Formats: sequence, C-alpha cells, structure tokens
Amino acid sequence: MDSQAPAPAQHPKYAWPEKPRLIGTRVSRIDGPLKVTGRAKYSYDILRPGMLYGRIVRSPHAHARLKSIDATAAEKAPGVKALLITIKPGDKVLYPGQEIGALAAATEQQAADALRLIKVEWDVLPALATVEQSMRPEAPQVFTPANTRRGTAQEDGNLDTGFAAAAHTVEGTYSTQVQTHTSLETHGCICEWNGENLTAWVSTQAVHGTREGFAAGLKIPQANVRVITEFMGGGFGSKFGPDIQGLLCARVAKAAGAPVKMMLDRKEEHLTTGNRPSAFARVRAGVAADGKLTAFDAQTWGTGGAGAGSDYPLPYIYTFPNRRRTHTDVYINSGQQRAMRAPGHPQGCFVTEVLMDELADRVRMDPMEFRLKNLPPLAPNAMWAKYFPMGAERINWKSRHVTGDPTPGPIKRGLGCSANRWGGAGQGARAHCEIGSDGSVVMRCGTQDIGTGNRTIMAMVVAETLGLEVNQVTIELGDSNQPFAPGSGGSTTAAAVMPAMRVTAGKARDALFERIAPQLGVPVDQISMGVGTVLVSLSTRDPLSDAQSAARSGQAPSSRSISWRDACRLLGTIPVSVDGQWERGLSAGGTSGVQFADVEVDIETGITKVRKIVCVQDCGLIVDAKTAETQCYGGIISGLNYAVFEERILDRNTANMVNPNMEWYHMAGQSDIPEIDVVLVDQPERGVIGIGEPPAVATAAAVANAIRNATGVTLRSIPITPDRLLTELERAGGTN
Amino acid sequence: MAGGMDLLGLMKDYIVSPDRIVSIKGLDQTIAGADSGIRIGAATKIADLADNVLVRKMYPALATAAESVGTPQIRNMGTVGGNIMQRPRCWYFRNEEFNCLKKGGSRCFAVEGENQFHAIFGDGPCHIVHPSSLAVPVIAYGGKFRVAGPNGSRDIDAGEFFQMPNTNLYGESVLQPNEIVTHVILPAPGQRSAGYEVRFKQSHDWPLAAASVNLVMSGQTVKSARLVMGAVAPVPWRSQAAERVLAGKTITEAIAVEAANAALASAKPMSGNAYKIRVAKTAVKRAVLRAAGVAWS
Amino acid sequence: MDIPKPASPLVNEHHCSNLRHKGMYVMSVPDPDEFKFYDRYDATHYWCTCTQKALGPDGLSVHPTTCQHGGERGCCE
Repeated sequence: MDSQAPAPAQHPKYAWPEKPRLIGTRVSRIDGPLKVTGRAKYSYDILRPGMLYGRIVRSPHAHARLKSIDATAAEKAPGVKALLITIKPGDKVLYPGQEIGALAAATEQQAADALRLIKVEWDVLPALATVEQSMRPEAPQVFTPANTRRGTAQEDGNLDTGFAAAAHTVEGTYSTQVQTHTSLETHGCICEWNGENLTAWVSTQAVHGTREGFAAGLKIPQANVRVITEFMGGGFGSKFGPDIQGLLCARVAKAAGAPVKMMLDRKEEHLTTGNRPSAFARVRAGVAADGKLTAFDAQTWGTGGAGAGSDYPLPYIYTFPNRRRTHTDVYINSGQQRAMRAPGHPQGCFVTEVLMDELADRVRMDPMEFRLKNLPPLAPNAMWAKYFPMGAERINWKSRHVTGDPTPGPIKRGLGCSANRWGGAGQGARAHCEIGSDGSVVMRCGTQDIGTGNRTIMAMVVAETLGLEVNQVTIELGDSNQPFAPGSGGSTTAAAVMPAMRVTAGKARDALFERIAPQLGVPVDQISMGVGTVLVSLSTRDPLSDAQSAARSGQAPSSRSISWRDACRLLGTIPVSVDGQWERGLSAGGTSGVQFADVEVDIETGITKVRKIVCVQDCGLIVDAKTAETQCYGGIISGLNYAVFEERILDRNTANMVNPNMEWYHMAGQSDIPEIDVVLVDQPERGVIGIGEPPAVATAAAVANAIRNATGVTLRSIPITPDRLLTELERAGGTN
Repeated sequence: MAGGMDLLGLMKDYIVSPDRIVSIKGLDQTIAGADSGIRIGAATKIADLADNVLVRKMYPALATAAESVGTPQIRNMGTVGGNIMQRPRCWYFRNEEFNCLKKGGSRCFAVEGENQFHAIFGDGPCHIVHPSSLAVPVIAYGGKFRVAGPNGSRDIDAGEFFQMPNTNLYGESVLQPNEIVTHVILPAPGQRSAGYEVRFKQSHDWPLAAASVNLVMSGQTVKSARLVMGAVAPVPWRSQAAERVLAGKTITEAIAVEAANAALASAKPMSGNAYKIRVAKTAVKRAVLRAAGVAWS
Repeated sequence: MDIPKPASPLVNEHHCSNLRHKGMYVMSVPDPDEFKFYDRYDATHYWCTCTQKALGPDGLSVHPTTCQHGGERGCCE
C-alpha cells in the first residue's frame, strides 16, 4: 500500500483476521442453485391464497387535463373486485403513464382488459419532449414556476488567467442520453391485509425504508407493516420505497378484501420508474504547452423529466485549477429520474474523459500520459496513477496508434481509457445471531440482497468468524421484522453489513465461550476458535486438563480441541442469542478505478464491436472475489450499453416513448458482450468498501475514446449508434 | 396460430384482439426437394430451416437469414409462414398510444417523428420496413408462395406477393382473410448466391439493412442476377438497377460498389434515416462479394 | 456507541416532513476528500412520501427549495 495511507482504523476487538481462511477467496453464491432451479421466490413469484391481480390506470398523454372519467363499465367487468380512481376532472398529468387509479381483478388478463373499459376524456395540452423544446423562449410554460431551474454554480481560481496560460483550447458540446434502469425484475409488490396489519412482498432495495414509506403514505402505524424481500431482481437505485404502485396496491387490496399482486410490466418500467437524467455540457477548456490543464468553463443542463433534477459532477477527477460551471435543470413531460447506479458520475466521466482525449491530441501527448500529468495526488482513495499503468499493460496500450487507425479496410481498431471514483462507505446495520445447542447458526439482519451476493458474503464473514464453513451458517435477511439495516444504495451495503456480521458473530462467539467455559472447567480466555472446533489451551491453572493430558502422554500438550457440535451441545436447551451492529474500524469508503476499452468499428456500417474491457478497481478488503468480480461485470455491461445501445427515445411531437420495451430499447445480448478482464486490487487494511457502482462509471467514456481512436472522428454524444457514427464519418470526409 | 411468436405480441400490445384463434400447427412442416428446387412447409420451424442441409448447401442466403432471426427461442417456436406473414415492427404501429395510419388513424407518426429505423424507399403514406428476413432471399431465389383458400390452392410469385402501403394500407400482402400460406417453393438457385445482414446488436435484433443476391453464372461472368434488399422499404425491395449492373460482369469490389450505388440511387430517406443508405449499400456490396467468393476490404 | 444517522440536507424545522430522498434510507458515510475530485453537485431525486413520486399532492414538483414550511404550498406538513 502507498506510504501516504493514513494509519488504518482497526477495530479493537473484532478486527478482520490477518490470515483469513474464507474472506478473499472465491465463493459461489450460496443461493445460486435456488435461483437457477427456480426455487428462489422473487416478489414476482409470490402467490397468496385468493390473490387478485392489480393494474394501474395511467395517462396515455404526456401533458393533459382531465375532462371526465367514467369507470362504471370497468367496475362491472368480469373478475373486477376493486377499483380506485385518484384523479378528478380539472387535474393535470405531466408525463405519459402518470398514475390516475388502480384496479384489481381475478386474473391478470381481466385486469388488463378492464383497464381499457375506463372511459377517459382529456384536454390534450402541448407537451415538451426534448430539452430544446422546453428551453425555447416561446415554449409553453408547462411547469410551475418555470420549465427550467437554475442549479449549482461554481467558480474556482481565475478563468482569465487559466485561458491566458493555455496553449490550446477545445470547445464543444457534449451530451449523454436518458437511460432507464431496466431491472430484470420489474417494480411491484403483493399486499395482504390481516385486519389493520399489512404484509407486503416488495421488490425493493430497502425493506425497512419501505415499511416506513407504507406507513407514512397510508397513514398507518409502522408497527402494523411488515415488508419482505427474500430475493430481488435488481433495482439499480430505482426501488427505495413502496412506490406509487405500492400504495395503490395496498389500497385496492384493502378495498377488495383480498391479497393483490401488482407487478409492473416492461412498458410501465420504462415510463414511470426512474431513469438516469440526460446531460448536456457546452465546454471550453484549456491546456498549457506542457500538458497541464489550465482552465475549464462549462454551461451544463439536462433533464430528469417532469420536475426532477439532472445535476452531475463536472469536471470529473482531473485537476483544472481554474474553472467555472453553471447548471440548469430542464423539465420535460416524461417520467422522473431516480438514483441510478452512481448518479451523475457516468455523465461527468463521459464529458470529461472525451474532452481529455481531445486535449491530449492538441498537445500531442499519449492520452494516458496526459491523464497521469493531471491527476490528483496518489492517496488510498485516489489510486489512479498506479492503476493506469496496470490497466495499460493488460490492454496492450503500447500497441495503440495515434487517433485514427491507419489500417486500410473498413474495420478500424482503437483503444481508450478513463477513470472512476466512488464512496462506498456504509454504517448503521444491526443484526442478531443465535447459536443453537445442535451447532446451528442463524444470523438475522434486515438488510436485503438485491442480486449482488450480499447473502453470500454475509455467510462468509459469519463462517470465518465462527470457524465454520459457509454452508453451516443460515442467513436470514430481507424482512423488516429483522433487526434494522439501511437501504441498499450508494454501494454501502457491504460496508454497512459486513462489520455488523463480524461484530455480531464475534459477540456470539464470545458468549458461547462464556457459557461453556464453566463446563469445560477453564477460564474463558483459554478458549479460542479453531476450524470446526473450539480450542482449549491448557495452562498450569487448569489442573484437570493438565492431569488428564499428562496421564495420556506423559507430556503436557498446549491445547485440546472440541468439535463445534460438542462445544455447542454444552449449551443445553438455551441458545446463544446476541445482538450486534456496525462498528467503526471494519469498513471505509473512497474507491478508485480505471478502465480500458479495445474496440473494432466497421466504418461502412457504423457498428461498434467492443472486443475487450480491462477494469482495475479497488474496493478495500475483498470479501468474496467472485461476487466482487461479478459486480464489475454487471457495471461494465451497463456502461457498454450506455456507450453504444441504451436510449430512451421520445416521440418529439407527443413526448410518448416509442421504445418502451427491450426490442428497440437496445441492450447488449450475449454476442455483444466482450471479454472482460477484471483486476481487483485488495486493500485489506482499509476494511470493507462497496463496489456496486464504481465499475459502471468509466466504461462508456473508455469505449467512446476507443471509438475515437479507431475512427479518428470525435463523438461528443452517446449512445454511439450506427446513425451517429456514420453521420460523423460522412462529415469527416466519407468512408469511400 | 402456429408458433404464436407474432400473434401473442400483437395481442399483448392490444394491436389485435381476435375473438377466436385457430390452431394451424397441423400445416406442413417438412422441407423437401421438389423438381430441381425445394418445397418448405409453412409450419417449418425457423430453426429447422436454418439447420437443413439442403437449404444450407443450395440456398445460403436463406440459411443466413434463417439463422439470424430473433433468438434461439424464437427460432425454435417461430415458423416460416409466421415469419413471412408477421406484422411490421414499426414502433408507432406497435404502441397503443399511437393511432397510426395502419391502425385506421389519420397520420403516419414517423414522418415528423422518430424514423431512424424506418423506410428509405417508397412514397408512403406509411413508412414501415417489411419485417420478414426470410422473404428477402425467397424473392431473390425467384420463389413462390403456395396459398390455400376456399377455391383450392394457388401459387403466387413472391415478388408479387407483398404490397406497398399506397396499395394496401392495412395489410402487407395480397393474401386474403380467407387464405393461408401453406408452402414456400423455391426453384433451383443460381450457381452463386449469398445474403448479408447488418444488425445494430449482434444478439436479438432486427437488421438495419439486409441484402440477398442470386447469381446465374456463365463461368466467371454473371449471366443474370436477382438482388433484393430487406429492412429498407415497406416490402422486400428488389433492385433491377443493381441487377443490370451485375449482368454480364465479372464480380470485383468495384462492380459490387457500383451495384450498391445503383441499388440505393433512388432511395428517399426520411428526416432521420439517411445513414441507412450507407448501411444498405454495405449490405448489397458484401452480399454480392460474398456470393462471388471475393473478400472485401 | 456510534449512533449513525443518514446524511441529509433536509432540516426538520424548515422542510416538509413528507419530503424524501434516497439518502434518508441509505446510511452512507461521506468521503471527506470527495470534493477534491470534483465540485459539489446535487443529483438527488426527491419525492413526496404521500404520493411516492416527484410531484406533491398539489401536482407540483417537490424540491427542498419549494417544500418548506411557510411557503406557498398548502400541502406541507
């Protein structure tokens, strides 16, 4: 580790083991077999006796005022048991798919058919489909008090001085698209009332937070609400409460007097459950002849939809000593943004990193050398200067040609790189551990495994601490009746939960030793943990053991071991039962990483094939190398999609989304996914840090820079579709 | 319904809501040599077509098209007849919110809207691209569709089968509501033929443009050619201009480029799809070169 | 004993008690060095817990600048 690293905070009692047995190894997901055989029950799979199916009544218009609504035919439709209208004449809707009611019917098909019997009359109002439409001086004022909102404004240093020191400047407008979360499991829940008590199976990233949300939204006591999420198919930041459908589901379930399942379909997902805002940046930046960045001046804007913000960090990571930036949120008639995997970072990274390659070309420097010259100083949470050369080695950076592949023929190769950072520090998780006299271990924690492998790494830490194997530990999570744990967002889960596992299992171990010490006839400090065993060290203060062992061998052994089962048997009928929680000294925050892309562009079709991504990423102490790597794979594929494929496309005249599916909302399939080479940098001295978000940040910029390196044309806008790429190639002089 | 790959989607999207569905799983699902060509049952699974030895050997353009339809699941369920007769994938047509021309509405939303995947040929008023990948090589090979109806069976030239929107707005072919496609019949192919498809995604995507070429050769010289493009027009788009370029020539890259330019000379892109001209030119060029066995650079 | 609290810019006395954002449910620990790597920014998605969306019961956008006691919105609690 770098010498600048501050002395790591160590937990005084339950520090991570110096030579771990399980931690840092490659353990497959303990619930993998359940998932691949379909035995894992996601919210979508929950079936309750007498359960009905709910659907939401939605606006088909982006901007409209309700004239009238008549649901009598729907109410009488076959199978319909409850119907709720939440809009009244005169009310306005501001985005397509806006929720205006809900119904529950005996079958999914009856519910969907009944929706179409609701007669709604609208005054359709002019809709804003793009930021350009919204920002026009003559634009209709759709939002109150205005279609735009001035966001953050910063200034540091002196811009005039900065540009005076510049030998070259680059000016351009950069942009990123709206990306939707597209979780494999859609949003939704099953709500079941028992009197005034509500049990909800919800696809959520926060079981405790969702309980609070149900109680607040329904005005019922939190004590009456239980939220369960045993298995969960992804949220990426978009699932932090009961959500609109949760409250509607609970209300129609109450009205129908039956449990109701209300899972959204793919179209509803795209329209209403969040997205990554678009980003635009009009930038002017300066670089000195020696390759030092001097100035950065940007006006930025973007849209988070109907009344939601769009800010992002800019410039990203590299040091521009003199800079100014103003941001404006632009509202349009579309579904609102939500936190999405490293909110803001991929946008800021893309704009900055593409600009960096352009600036490097102006001073005729290798883009990686140029980055090394302008990075913040090396620190444990800022390791880019070390990681860039590591990644360069793995992508064969020395084979890189200057901008524009000189090879004849339509296929052009190129390399690009970029950097990311994230926080990933969590706290606040609580847990409860029981050790039974039969040796069973149950750890309960009201966290959730949103598909990351949380359940697996929890079991690893507990097993490590108790000297057991992973399969000897039962992890119970995803239930708001379990001890509190915070929501899974901001890559904080591992850093919040693993210390709680370590401390709680450690306390359980201590309690076990205290309970069995009298029966073993030794002071508790002579008992320690082996592997599958409890070790009793024998000292002169332990006459019984001394006598026994001396009799056996004639020589005093230093210890004897008792099997875990035998040790636990001494507990009799009363288990060990202890509470524990996150404590300081076992986790940290501040991660850094770099990525490199190797791409192939067919300049006669505009098709980009990403050949390889190299990812060098740290995340503190690595608990499970395998699940940490899969977090990187997932993030990289999401970043690749952001670079090339994904884009929410709104019809410019109606603001209705034309691709609310997975057919025209393109996402990489198996054949589009490249070789992914993940290098995880282990920093055991820092403790656990989350890794969910950082790998998703840098991929798009690295791919865009590789495409620029391959083709010689600069694309300041993603996704880099065949359309955009061919148009830019034509502008640059045609392909043949 | 046979595979249901298209019908179920149309029903889920409330584009059609049939009162009654008839099983047509009993249609012929065999592939057999017929005269010097081949006869393919309409209920043949696309996967079986793609794997068929005879097809792979004699009709490589058809094999290329078949093996790149949809996904393995779609190819395992979807049938040849269903692929030919599937409705357009236009996102305005498929979206319940847009009451487009084809659904009886008053306008084609693509004209002033989002048309990057729409037609670059045709005068409208609807600007779909025909969704069938298989129809493109079938026409290039001079195939016929055998159609059964109340008055028995008739064969329709595949090149005459599909209709432009200004002739038939609410359907895409001459097939009548009381008729059904039972077979695809292909005559003997030319000595050289090939197909080429350009896809944005390499997994599960529709072509941005495709081309099939069928060459009757005299030694190294093209005696006659059939060249058809897919995903560029409301019907599979045959280019006789390109065919004329190829006739009498020995295929070189320059000739292939000339044919591609001829094929796209009359293209009329919409506001957002001019790039498809370049993509389609590439598909034509590469199909011609692939057929002739010439590597492209 | 540590009593961790979520990081939130919202203040009980000023802001509507129904205003929510992800940070109120996720207990991250800010990296004190973060703003060495970029300037401050606000990418927060706010929602109203009554409606569970970014529009309040009055149909207007929710945001700390508007969801304040004594403001023009009648729905603040």
